[in-house]
Amino acid sequence: MKIKHILLNTGICFVVCAGLVSPVNAQKAANLTDPEIASIAVTANQIDIDYAKIAESKTKNEDVLKFAQTMAKDHQSVIDQAVALVTKLGVTPKDNATSKSLKAGEVKTKKLLQSKSGKAFDKAYIDNEVAYHKAVIKEVQNALIPDAQNAELKSLLQSVLPVLQQHLSHAEMVQKQLNK
Amino acid sequence: MKSSIIESGIKRLLLFPVLFLISCHSSNEKVSENSHHTDTVVIRQMQFDPAEITVNKGDTVVWVNKDLVPHTVKSYAAKDFYSDTINVSKTWMKSITDSVSYFCTIHPTMKGKIIVK
Repeated sequence: MKIKHILLNTGICFVVCAGLVSPVNAQKAANLTDPEIASIAVTANQIDIDYAKIAESKTKNEDVLKFAQTMAKDHQSVIDQAVALVTKLGVTPKDNATSKSLKAGEVKTKKLLQSKSGKAFDKAYIDNEVAYHKAVIKEVQNALIPDAQNAELKSLLQSVLPVLQQHLSHAEMVQKQLNK
Repeated sequence: MKSSIIESGIKRLLLFPVLFLISCHSSNEKVSENSHHTDTVVIRQMQFDPAEITVNKGDTVVWVNKDLVPHTVKSYAAKDFYSDTINVSKTWMKSITDSVSYFCTIHPTMKGKIIVK
């Protein structure tokens, strides 16, 4: 109930509902291909870097700033390794319903984040990070890993999962501090 | 003259194995004097593995980053116990004199502990 309330308040419902969950369900009849998975992986990481850059420029809170810096660095590191792998495998990332919805969700969320400042911004950014990481973890677990055909791509996705889970724990820790 | 050259050659030949044995002996002594071990903590899947390790005073602990992202090792209490960034596939080592609880400054939910016997 509380999560639903937070999501509605921050406009994150768009990202979680329209950006991730629906396209996955819609595509479950036809499994994702490796080029589609590569596109989703890079897009999802890049979006979180974009959110982090907004936070780096707007927040005055040290914990939020440190978290944003970590998101920018870690997700860039994941992108670098994903790009290196798909280049090696000769896989060209292919846009699909999920990656398109992710990008559409990003536009709305960025607009929302840009409209806020001070403590309201910190709360909106961190609440979004919690919801976004939960949704991405679900996507990776339920769609990307099971659908990946190439063993190295599957292995990379499996390695990314603990990174996302740690990011979620970190975001929840900052969220608790902000709510004190 | 000729015999003295031969004699000197023989002496050198005999001396070489003796010196070799002495050098081996002293090197073995060094190893037994310096009996500290090196223990390894692997950083993988966003965890310190093992999260808790027991060592002897003076042992060296090596942290090996086998994760996808950079990490750090920092003591909660001791100011000089900080690795700075350990990039992917890189290591950091420290001689351990006291028990210490530590964490990763980049990912503060990652925690570890070293117990000195």
